[in-house]
This record gives sequence, structure tokens and C-alpha cells, in this order.
Amino acid sequence: MSEFLSVIFSEEFLSTVIRVLVPLLFASMSAYIASLAGIPNIAVEGIMLMSALFAVLGSYWTQSSWLGLLISIGAGLVMALILILCTIKMGTNPILVGIALNTFSASFTVFLLYLFTQNKGTSASLASIVLPIVNVPIIEKIPVLRAIFSGQYTITYVCILSMILLAVLVYQTPLGMRMKAAGLDERAAKTAGIDVNKVRIIAVLISGLLAALGGAYMTTGYLSIFTKNMIAGRGWIGIAAQAMGGTNMLGVAITTFVFSLFQAVTNVFSLYDLPSELINIIPYVGVLLGIIIFSVSTYRNSKKG
Amino acid sequence: MSAKGGIPLEDSILRLENITKVYSNGVVANKDISVDFRKGEIHSIVGENGAGKSTLMKILFGIEQPSAGKLYLRGEERQFHNSLEAIDAGIGMVHQHFMLIPTFTVAESIVLGMEPRKSMLFLNKKAAVAKTRTIAEQYNFDVDVTKKISELSVGAKQKVEILKTLYRNAEIIILDEPTSVLTPQETEILFDELDKFKKLGHTILFISHKLGEVKQISDRITIMRNGESRGTFNNAEITMEELTARIIGRDLISSYDEKKHDWPEMTPVLKVEKLCLIQKGQKRLENISFTVKRGEIFGIAGVQGNGQDELIRAIAGLTGHVGGTITLDGTDISKLSIKKRRETGIAYVPEDRMSDGTAGEASLGDNIISTYFDRPSLNGPFFMRGRRINTEARRLIKEYSIKAESPSQKIQSLSGGNIQKVVVAREHNTNPKCMLAEQPTHGIDIGSAEFIHLRLIEMRNAGAGLLLVSADLDEVMGLSDRLIVMYDGKIAAYFSDIKGLTRNELGYYMLGVKQQTPEEIGGALHD
Repeated sequence: MSEFLSVIFSEEFLSTVIRVLVPLLFASMSAYIASLAGIPNIAVEGIMLMSALFAVLGSYWTQSSWLGLLISIGAGLVMALILILCTIKMGTNPILVGIALNTFSASFTVFLLYLFTQNKGTSASLASIVLPIVNVPIIEKIPVLRAIFSGQYTITYVCILSMILLAVLVYQTPLGMRMKAAGLDERAAKTAGIDVNKVRIIAVLISGLLAALGGAYMTTGYLSIFTKNMIAGRGWIGIAAQAMGGTNMLGVAITTFVFSLFQAVTNVFSLYDLPSELINIIPYVGVLLGIIIFSVSTYRNSKKG
Repeated sequence: MSAKGGIPLEDSILRLENITKVYSNGVVANKDISVDFRKGEIHSIVGENGAGKSTLMKILFGIEQPSAGKLYLRGEERQFHNSLEAIDAGIGMVHQHFMLIPTFTVAESIVLGMEPRKSMLFLNKKAAVAKTRTIAEQYNFDVDVTKKISELSVGAKQKVEILKTLYRNAEIIILDEPTSVLTPQETEILFDELDKFKKLGHTILFISHKLGEVKQISDRITIMRNGESRGTFNNAEITMEELTARIIGRDLISSYDEKKHDWPEMTPVLKVEKLCLIQKGQKRLENISFTVKRGEIFGIAGVQGNGQDELIRAIAGLTGHVGGTITLDGTDISKLSIKKRRETGIAYVPEDRMSDGTAGEASLGDNIISTYFDRPSLNGPFFMRGRRINTEARRLIKEYSIKAESPSQKIQSLSGGNIQKVVVAREHNTNPKCMLAEQPTHGIDIGSAEFIHLRLIEMRNAGAGLLLVSADLDEVMGLSDRLIVMYDGKIAAYFSDIKGLTRNELGYYMLGVKQQTPEEIGGALHD
């Protein structure tokens, strides 16, 4: 037990938390920005999966990890465009489109994988290139801080930057305010002279971009290969975090952080001789507990009001 | 072409010429309407629900485009393809249902869509607060712009809506039924403000069916009926009676007394005894006792929120446990489920027709049978009998002259008056022993209101007992045979005969200034 605690309170553990936090944060923010503007994007999981594969394929084709990243983002944006086309232009229920995109990418990625590697499980045989690990001078010498801000994968820094930009967009620009208005009351937004469709298209494209970055992170940092169904519910965990945070970005971020703690604990436990099937359910049990607590408190509040 | 009534064209800021609107389903909403609006006037547009007022305003505000006709703004022919163009041209609209987001602040709500910026990209929150505060002060609006919309009263929300139009430099402000949500005091404040706008040169288009208010504030009045204009008049040149006759196409019934016929056996049908209700530690109802007899309308008057709502819900079965007994035709129903109470003979016209009275997304046909859909005549052993439901719905639509295209139409697409007719038709059709009618004509046009009143009297004449709750004194005094006044969850007064009763006298009891003795109130139960 004391050995376990010493692991938990180590710099390495902090570093692990950051490592598992990044894809979850991309997922929850992807769900957040779309839902803020009034289009629930439940295709986060599918977009991440698709982008994860295209990051590998792209870097293999171009032999450049950066071009691979661009191709991966492109794939994510195409998925977002399908969502836009179906929901905003043709009026389909966004949940249905989300289900379609998720099931599609689950099997389409395997199809592509087989097409290019003759293997239905992993892309290990492809010589893909990962993005570099970045060591930040000065910070790499400071204890604790160095665990968070140095020696991380490239996309981790992109993540930090994205979160700052997203917060500025949502809270400091007219566009962010219009997104919130479009999501909360479409009619009110329209009568104020806002082009609701335009605002929503932008929001869903940003959502696609964030999910794509989360997917790319999985194969250009976290792992260096693509494996079947490798997102493993991270997109859904992100959606759960978004649902709990609502329109409050900080709330979404904090919930995501709590979920990533569960995930990191799982990683630590897996070093011990414990049944892995049991250990692997920890993050999901965490999400389940979170949702139960959230539902109970919402129910109580609604009774009070 | 000269405008109607020989008004020189220079005076008019906005002029409509032969506007016709035919919807794609063939409904003619506006027919050949010509009217001009002058700078600095309050111009009311009156007419029943469905007379075409809303369509005309939607055309002015660019939400709908006319099928034919021309629109001149400051002498120039214009066409608005969307409301943004109308806003840019200086037209503002305050919708009947507020277009406000509860979690936004007042300042945010006002600037939304035209936000002040700093360095092009960013929201200038300080400027938003400063600008909105300046406008509010300029027009003497007492609103804290940093407050959230959800913290505001209804009257204050309306001020925010008006400020929205002023922020967008509206010269012409359209107000759609603005007083329907306001208290009398708030209405007075609104009227003072409208008067101020008029003096500052704004043109106010006031849509209403409350004729008293229209007479009070208008300079000119345009009357609409069946999609056509029935003329524009100077307020001073038209009497209330003429106005009414032109709106509904005939004279209103001035008294319902002659419509009433006595029922031979006025035996008690609904008996409420010592009803008490405590919610959240507060006494909502205290010792309420009265009897409703067959063949009478028993009225409950009172300022809203003095327990009438709780009382009706308790009788209908919507409140959980209450103390005391409720007897319907000899059966104690106070512990029964809502369905059992209905089977025993209760019908209920709820105050909120949109959330309690109907299911908005469901069809007219489904709504009109929803409280008796399991009758064997409508419900077979396995499936609903669609054709019979349809026939029944069509019969009721005809009998109640409900304006609708077909029974499969969504109910929320009907006007308020027609929705309420659906509710009354449905409840009447259950052939109840006792009907609870809660604000049955609240917020609907006078024609529909009169129609519903006559139906209630018809039910009374046929031997049903009616319990009528209304905050509208004209309604409760015009219809009731006997009445009680509720104040603070208790019965404040009982009147066995309403002849000779004055509004002032009732007012004293409604406001708690006067209170009858328990003996006098006891008559409600024992008479």
C-alpha cells in the first residue's frame, strides 16, 4: 500500500495523469463547443478513431509526421462536414448522424487498416513516424512543473494552446457569445439578427478539429501504432464530462481531469499483479459514479426549484 | 394614389399598399390591406385571433414576404427578405413571447448580434455595459444591466426587449400583445413609456385585443377582421361599441342572464369540506368548505396566487395528499387517482392550456380525445379506432367552429383561442357532472371568449355544476350564480346572490381589507 501511495505522489504519476488527460480533454472540449452552439456531437469517438488511423497512414505516405498530422486533421474535418451537412443543411437529428458516423468509422478504419497493412488488428508493420517529444529548457529543471510542462508529446503543447484559444473564443469574442445564444435559444438568437447556421457550422468544425487532434495524439504520441478500436470509449467519456459541465468550460475541464485521474490510477494498478480485466473497468466505473452523483444533484436541485 | 382618410403622404413614415399574403397551403392571411403609419403616433392594430394581425406584423418585420402589394418606408419602396434588413431599416419588434436567454445578463441580451468590440476580434464587455446603461438612462428605464435575465420580473424583461429595439436605433417599434403578461401597474408604466417614445418621434405599433387599453393609449386604430382591414380611425372618432362591433362583426352579448335557464333539481354535486393543504411548511389552503350544485356556476374570485390554483388542483387530483374531504355526487373522491375522479364525473379546464391542457406536439385530433381515448367507441380490443376518432374530432371541430385545417394538424400551430376551444370541447364531451374551469378565457380574443362563456352556460343549463376560477372580475361576475372570494388560502367572503354586488366591494375582500364572519362564509357550504 505504501508503495502504491509513493507511486501516486510521484512526479511520474503526475506525468501519467497529463498523458491520459490530453485525449480526454480534446474529446470533452470537442463535445463542449458543438453542444454549446446547439448541435450535440456524439461522433467524437468516431472522429478520434478516424483521425488516429489517418495520422499513421498520413505520416507513412508522406514520411513526415507533420504532414501526417495535417492529413489526420483533414480526416476529422471531413467527418465534421458530414455532420454539418446532414444536420444543418438537411435537418437530420444530430444523434442519428452521430451514431452513423461512429459505427461507420469503427468498421471503416479496420477496412482501411487491412487494405494498407493486410492486418486487421494493428498497423505495426507500417513505418509511420511519431511527433517528437518536447523538452522545454529551464522548466525541465524545476521539480513538479517539469512533470507537467516538459518532456511531453508535441500535441500536449498543442492541447494547452487549444484550451487557451478556446476559452478566449467562448468567453471573450462576439462569436462565442453568439454560439452560446444559438445553443440556448435558437429563436432568440435569430431575432437578434444572428446567422445561427453559420455560427453552428463554425462550432462543429472546431469540434471536428479538436477531436481530430485527440485522435492524432493517440497514434503519434501516446502510442506509435494504430490498433483496432484504440480510442476505447475516450470520446464517450469526453461527452459524459461535457454533459456534467454544461455550458461552463471550466466545469467540463475539471470533470475531465477527475476522469483522467481514474485512468491514471488504472495505469499504475496495471503494474501490479492484479487481474487486468478488473483494473481496466476503473475509469468507466469512475464515469458511471460521476454521472450518478451528477444526476442525483440535478434531481435534488430541480425539486428545490 | 392618396392614402385612406385623405392623409397627406408626407406624414407617413411607413405605408402599406394593397398587401396580400397567401400562404403556400392556400390560407389567405392578409387581403388587400392598405394602411399608413405616421411619425410619432401610437397606432393600434386590433382584431380577433386569426384576423391576420400577426401576419401583417411579420411582413413588416421581414419574417414573411407579401404575395402582392407594396411597402414604402419614408416614401421609398422597400422589400425586407429577413428581419435583419428590417432591423437595419429602423424597425424593431417586441415579441409576445420574449426572445431572451435566462442565463445572459441584461447588457449581453441587448447587444447580442451587434456587440461592441475591441481590436476587431474581441468582445468589449465594458462598452456593452456602458452603452446599454446610457440607453436605459436616456429613456428613464430603471433596469440594472448587469443582472441576469432570470432574475428579472416579467415587466423588466419586457423593458429589456424594448431596449433591444432602441439599441438597434428602431424608429418604428412593434409591440405584439405587450400587456398580456403584465400586471395592471406594470401596464401603466409601459403606457407612460410608450407615450414618451411617441413624443421623442418614435412610431409605436401596438397589437392588442384588450380594447380598454387600445382606447386609452392610441392615436389611431386599424381594425382587422378575417384578414382584411375594416378601416383606420382616429381614436376620438370611434366609440367602444362601434369598435367591438367591427372587430367581431356583430354586437357582443351584454349580459348572460337571459341565456340562463333554471335546472329543476339543484341538488349538491360537489362538496368540499374543511380542505387544508400544507406545502413546504406553508399553509396554502385553510379550512375551505363549499358546495357546488347542479345547474349553477359557482365562482371563485381573487387575486392570483391566493390559493385558487392549489384548490382546483386538489379537486382535480393533481396535488398529493390534502386534508379534508371532497365529495362528488355522494362519492368521496379525495383519495382517488385523477383517472378515477374523471370517471366519477369531474372535468377540468386547466389555466395553462399549453402545458397542462394540451400536448403541443400532438395533433388536434389526439388532443381532443386525450381524456377519454379509452372509451370503447374509440378504442378497440387491440387498436385505436382511427376512423372514428377522426369523425369525432371533425364533429367537435365543426360544433366548436375551431379554425383548423384538419384533425392531424399539430395543436400548437393553432391560435390561443382555438386551442382553448379544443380543451373546452374535449372536457364538455366527457359529459361531466362537475366541471372545473380555471381562467377559461385568459389571454384569448373576445369572440372565442364569448363562445366559451356560452358553452359553459349551456352546460349549466343542462344540469352540470361548474366551478369557475377567474381573476377577471367581468368574467366571474358575469357568469357566476353564487361566488366566494379567496384571500391568503382562505375564503374571505361568500355571496349567495351577485346582483347588486359591486367591483369595489369585491375588491375589498380580494385585497384582504374586509373579511366576513365564519357564519356568513358558512353559507357557501350550507345554502
